[in-house]
Amino acid sequence: MSRSLWVTLGTTLGVGGLVFAASRRASAATTVPSNQGPASNPLPPMELAPLPKAGDVSGDLQTNWGDTPPDLIPLFMLMEETSKIVGSARLFAVIAYRESQFVTTAHNGNAQGEQDERDSSRAAYKNNKDRNPPLKYGEQAAEFGSGGLFGLLAPYYLWTGVPEIGKRAPLLNAPPELVFQPRAAAFGAVVYMQRLLANYQIDDHADIKAGWASPSLLKSGRGGAKYHDVRANFLGDAMTLGIDLTDTSTIPTKLDATAWPGVPAVFSALIGALPKDLA
Amino acid sequence: MTFANDLTCYGDDIKALADLAGDFELRSPMDVTTWYRRDWQAIADVLGFAQQLAAMPTAVPINNDRIAAMNTTGLAAFERALQGRRAAASDEQARVQSAALRQLVTAATPRGELWRVNADPTALETGACYPEGGRSLRAFYPDTAPGYFGDGWPGPPPRAESTCGWTTPLVLHLGTFPWVYSSRLEAVGPGMRWAASASNPTLLGLQIAVSLLEPRTNLQQDARQVAAIFHHFITQTAPLMARIPLYQPGRAEVGRLYRRGGFLYVHQGSLHVASLDGPRGHIAAPAYNYIVRRFASFFAVRRATLRALPNLGPEIQQLAQNAADPCLRQQSQGVARVG
Repeated sequence: MSRSLWVTLGTTLGVGGLVFAASRRASAATTVPSNQGPASNPLPPMELAPLPKAGDVSGDLQTNWGDTPPDLIPLFMLMEETSKIVGSARLFAVIAYRESQFVTTAHNGNAQGEQDERDSSRAAYKNNKDRNPPLKYGEQAAEFGSGGLFGLLAPYYLWTGVPEIGKRAPLLNAPPELVFQPRAAAFGAVVYMQRLLANYQIDDHADIKAGWASPSLLKSGRGGAKYHDVRANFLGDAMTLGIDLTDTSTIPTKLDATAWPGVPAVFSALIGALPKDLA
Repeated sequence: MTFANDLTCYGDDIKALADLAGDFELRSPMDVTTWYRRDWQAIADVLGFAQQLAAMPTAVPINNDRIAAMNTTGLAAFERALQGRRAAASDEQARVQSAALRQLVTAATPRGELWRVNADPTALETGACYPEGGRSLRAFYPDTAPGYFGDGWPGPPPRAESTCGWTTPLVLHLGTFPWVYSSRLEAVGPGMRWAASASNPTLLGLQIAVSLLEPRTNLQQDARQVAAIFHHFITQTAPLMARIPLYQPGRAEVGRLYRRGGFLYVHQGSLHVASLDGPRGHIAAPAYNYIVRRFASFFAVRRATLRALPNLGPEIQQLAQNAADPCLRQQSQGVARVG
């Protein structure tokens, strides 16, 4: 899930009196159609269940959330409870703050100046398509860039779960626009978090964000300028958002993915089932 | 609709406003329980204490205090949620705010002007000032510029000299607490940041706001004041709302902001990151929804109370008959004639 890290500071994006908080990293696509695509390959319907509510989770929705939007907190908590990665909910909030400014349709790659993000997704697809199951919307994914709440790079996102369950991975037939559905983005994010924790040296919470930017930063890039930049931004984001990363009552010192229930269980709990055309 | 519970005296659009919160029969325990639970749920969803509200006991006492009991339950859930948050205001500021709120309520309730209180800050305890770092600071924001609730309150100036720089009246819109100012309609209402460890004006603020849902306090409030503020709010926001598409089930786009049933709605996204920008400033989508709902709930309770007035006892009937509000007097006299 290699990606360049954008540190463009954004404020707000106004569209005819309507304003969405714009991503520091992403351009918020305020009018992303869910049922439209190229005429030659129209997108199937992909409406998922709505955002979870407070009653759908049991974890603490009050303590140490800072200014996280209240209507997204149950989603972050559901991600933690589903993945059994204790303490991950608030880290997902900090990551989403950087990647999308909590705009579910944030899209890196749909603007003129986002060529490098498209280059990343093209490279991701080209370099990995031969060793992964085919993607029904592979070419679109290659041109998509990254997006959604957690800034997931389209080809890797659609291959979510492949290392664990191979051709049974659930998003192989889905178009990249599925990432704009918050539950679908959440699925990709928790699987990625688990992969980082299980397969890389994660010394502290900021290392997770370094791995989110690019796993290479946890190996050959560890200690380099970019590694430190990403970590510093993450720690700054947590402070800005008002989430105390040292509060061990809500975030353990080290996250642990050993209780991971598996991709199918996580998919089932977060998404349930995809519409027939995508399954 | 009978003569007695017609809300058109306050404006042709007030009935439709009240309908946004739903109609109910005050004499029906089941109606009351359902309506007030739904209203508290709406409050909790925006202010972020739905989890605490859901955890509260659901049993409601079978007596005349059903509404008060439900408000007590809702406030207890809110208080519990506040305990999990960091204090934003200093103890000194919160103590001065709490004292000021109590004084303001005492003075405003008999005048029927609890929704928006307007007072000389120098007449309040400590002059609505609090000490911090050797300086004297204003305990509230001087909300005097034209905004979404009015065209501004530049005067009259305080009668006494203020030690913390008050030069205007103190104006608070308690009916829409925690959005108490005519500006600053951000995603988090300013009143939510009043909470401190020792004193809790945030809890007191919500307590005042929801007291307007109790029939007696609702009748005491001059509804003309509420209607005037609502009309100002709607006049300022209508051009902004007109640009927002109507929600159509099955045709909604992910992440897009819509108008749905009189409120704002983001399809598959967070309402808390959406907002409107107009000449009177920024207004966050949750603030818009909450404010409209408070107006709607006020008039829904007013309508239900008027309809039930013949059964509410002589003291409340007397309150209505002696009200400064000619609409309410007329309505209560209609009740007396019909009764």
